[in-house]
Amino acid sequence: MPPARVPERLPPLPWLPAAVLRALLPHAERDEVLDDLAGEYGDRAGRDGRWPASAWVWRQVLESVPSLLRRSWWRGWSGFEPQANRTRPGGPMLESWIMDVRYATRRLRSRPTYTLLAVLTLALGVGGTAAIYSIVRGLLVDPLPYRAEEQIAVFWSPFDWTEQEFLYLRSDFAGFSQVAAYRTGDLTLQLGDAPARLVPAIASSFELFDVLGTAPLLGRGFRDGDDRTGAEPVVVLSHGLWQELGGDASIVGQRLRLDGAERTVVGVMPRGFWFPDPTVRAWVPTPLLETNQSGNYAFVGRVAPGQRIEAMGPAISRLVARLDERYDYPAQWDKTKNTTLTPVREFLVGSLRPALLATLAAMGLILLIACANVATLMLGQVDSRASELAVRSALGADRRRLTQQLIAEALAVGLAAGAVGALLAAVAFRFLVAALPLGAWAETATLRWSVFFTAMAIAVAAALVIALAPVVSLWRGDLRGALTRARTSGIGGRGGSMESSLVVAEVALAVLMAAGAGLLIRSVAKLYDIDPGVNTTEVAVLDISTGGGLTAPQRRVLLKDLSREVGALPGVRSVAAAQRLPLRGGGDNWGIDVEGKPELETTTTAFRVVTPGYLEAMGMKLRSGRTPAESDGPNAERVVVINQALADKYFPGEDPIGRQLGTGFEGWERIVGVVGTAAEGKLTDDPTPARYMLYEQVPYVPEDNSLVIRVQPGRDPAAVLDAARRTVQRVAPSVAVQEATTMGRVFAKAVGPARQVMALLAILTTLALVLGAVGVYGVITHFVNRRKRDWSIRIALGQAPGHVIGQVVGRGARLIVAGIVVGLVAAVALARLIASLLYGVGTADPLSLAGATSALLAVGLLAAWIPGYRASRTDPALVLREQ
Amino acid sequence: MDEGPLGTFEEQVMLCVVRTGGDAYGMSVRRELERVTERDIAIGAVYATLDRLEAKGLVASSRAGTGGASRRVFSVTSDGARALAESRAMRDRLWRGVDVLRLLAGER
Repeated sequence: MPPARVPERLPPLPWLPAAVLRALLPHAERDEVLDDLAGEYGDRAGRDGRWPASAWVWRQVLESVPSLLRRSWWRGWSGFEPQANRTRPGGPMLESWIMDVRYATRRLRSRPTYTLLAVLTLALGVGGTAAIYSIVRGLLVDPLPYRAEEQIAVFWSPFDWTEQEFLYLRSDFAGFSQVAAYRTGDLTLQLGDAPARLVPAIASSFELFDVLGTAPLLGRGFRDGDDRTGAEPVVVLSHGLWQELGGDASIVGQRLRLDGAERTVVGVMPRGFWFPDPTVRAWVPTPLLETNQSGNYAFVGRVAPGQRIEAMGPAISRLVARLDERYDYPAQWDKTKNTTLTPVREFLVGSLRPALLATLAAMGLILLIACANVATLMLGQVDSRASELAVRSALGADRRRLTQQLIAEALAVGLAAGAVGALLAAVAFRFLVAALPLGAWAETATLRWSVFFTAMAIAVAAALVIALAPVVSLWRGDLRGALTRARTSGIGGRGGSMESSLVVAEVALAVLMAAGAGLLIRSVAKLYDIDPGVNTTEVAVLDISTGGGLTAPQRRVLLKDLSREVGALPGVRSVAAAQRLPLRGGGDNWGIDVEGKPELETTTTAFRVVTPGYLEAMGMKLRSGRTPAESDGPNAERVVVINQALADKYFPGEDPIGRQLGTGFEGWERIVGVVGTAAEGKLTDDPTPARYMLYEQVPYVPEDNSLVIRVQPGRDPAAVLDAARRTVQRVAPSVAVQEATTMGRVFAKAVGPARQVMALLAILTTLALVLGAVGVYGVITHFVNRRKRDWSIRIALGQAPGHVIGQVVGRGARLIVAGIVVGLVAAVALARLIASLLYGVGTADPLSLAGATSALLAVGLLAAWIPGYRASRTDPALVLREQ
Repeated sequence: MDEGPLGTFEEQVMLCVVRTGGDAYGMSVRRELERVTERDIAIGAVYATLDRLEAKGLVASSRAGTGGASRRVFSVTSDGARALAESRAMRDRLWRGVDVLRLLAGER
């Protein structure tokens, strides 16, 4: 910058305020204002001294900033240039930017179709990406509500550990600062006379909150001794449950009736805390017994300070050695094998990752396609503006300024798209939370203002990317040449190669998405093809919890009463109960002995306790023998029904009817029937051997059971759920209904996240196809328009219309095929991303790839055919006269 | 263009342009304003107001001096003079019948 003309004897102006002022003044006035200021500064310095003079300069500048900023804004907006400054116009950057944005908005307003198309296209991509990004960030990136989560890990074989093992290892968890054992232990909560309700809860050893490192909001967590037999029963509440109970701090010390017994509230966890999933609302210490060998605990530990989870090998080896010394595990449950620690984040939310990332990737692809689309639109604009830009440049506008204008236009589109996109994001957020397989985690996904800012940031970034294409084309192009060409309206020298490559990219991205969606659709179709062996259309399910306060005989009576009462409801054909339903992931495996086959290895099979009529209600088909009957009472011979898989495994080539099995109860049970194999474990498991016995004939009746309601043929099972729920509450107010659902929904859940991701991906793929088609259409239309004169001459010379269409479509086809090839290669390379969601199809499934290819070809060729048809109808006389 | 009545600061700036005679540039107008109003005035506010007044056609600016030493000097246009007269006339009308001495003496 040129030095201010300051007389030699005067001290120069302090540099910082001078620089601020210089940056805010119009070019023509800078020097004089600074000179005048320096002059007065000098006078004041001579009169009052340096410091008061400096203070005066600072005050002058700081008080000038607001009015100067306002002036820049106003000058940019109104284009005002004072008469005296005409020879040296212009001012701060801000001014020219405002001018350009204003010019851009005016231009956009005068081309509503282009603007609307660009803004909406971009807004779709931006809104969707912002919504899904917010969800992904909330679940995969935001810290978990535990202190130093990187030190917390979950042991191998989760929910297979026993209290005995925990107590044995507890004395020396070397390498860990603390380890806690926990299992799910849902509770019924009874408040006054209201019907009992279910509180999803965790039962754990006292170390739990110390391991997680989260301090309670009120009161305390657990302390040593809380998990001993005879200790005072206590409970820690979640923030949500505390709020529902009134949100009064005096709750600490009060008693709540949980599972029919009193528990003292000792603490309330802070808002936002959850473990192990957000639906859990209470934590209780559970008395640990040396003798308890039922394996349903998971171990979660915090590694000792200075240790890292990945480097725990030696400590784990010591633990395993101690286990090996004490226990002799059967091969299938050997806890000394596959001993790994899973970081807590991986354990808790790792299963969500593939679905979330696949969706985020799909959204990102849509955003890219949208960007490419808007970029081609803008390129078309630049092309049709070629003469305007050429005139401007001839009149002295430099390329920097023309670039600035293009960027301003992209930014204007981007900001508009960001605003619309934020609205879309807010709408899409709810939709996505519901559509994604988030399960319990849906609760943690809340719409925050950050979605808006994310949308804006993405939109601006996208706008800058979009501006790149026309800017590059501007810098490469020959502006002066455009002026001559514009007059003759001849075929452009450039063949629109950048437009073409953008369309190839769009088609490639769309193929990539279509291939991904195709894989998921095929997987889900295969999953639905599996026969679960039960009726999934006419069965409603009510999961009930009787609470801990009842004895086994009382529970039997209760189940009988409930079955009878619910069975009397209109539209119900029969009602039965079971302790565990098919398609819910297995569990409850009991040891089995086969009479006369002592040589069989000790092993277990799925064991189900049911009421008579359960097998019929569930729609399991009887293969031979009979199903259990009411007459099989407590004093009659114990009977068991086995499924085909069990018969095949233990009685190959024999008739199992009449043979006897042992379960560990006194004596034997006689096999009276064989039913078809139902998916008692996971849907995709191999046929699971299972056996069914009656509540009346086993000493054990669990707290949690399911009522199975078979409706009349043709009825919707969901329709009876409400009445059934009310009946349960009327007959047994102390029973809590955990879940009311249908076997159809249980089946859908068993199909798993692939189904939901598929639905989402199918929608997004449709979007991608539409956007891709719009891109092809736009580019081919532009191609056709540029060559209008060409077509006219050809048609005038007698070329058949079909030939013209052929040429145009041929050009489109070349782009589409190029895009498809690129897309297929990318699809094969990237399919691994969704591999964990796939079932029964490889990542390079030819059918999916062929489907994606043909979809793109069909849509793309149609999009190219329309402008081709239009070209073939060109009226040569009209066009040539126009020129 | 009719922009309604002059703002107080606009009027003050215009009057100071007149008062500084033929040598009305940004800093001299600012100094004059400070001298008369006995308040600190920021140079930026003076320039911004002068621009606005010029856009309204109430003052005009031109270059005095040559080359790098040239200055933007201001003068009040005939429109500006009319606006000043108008402003003053309106103020006089408003003052008519107001006995400020009685008010100052605390009477109603």
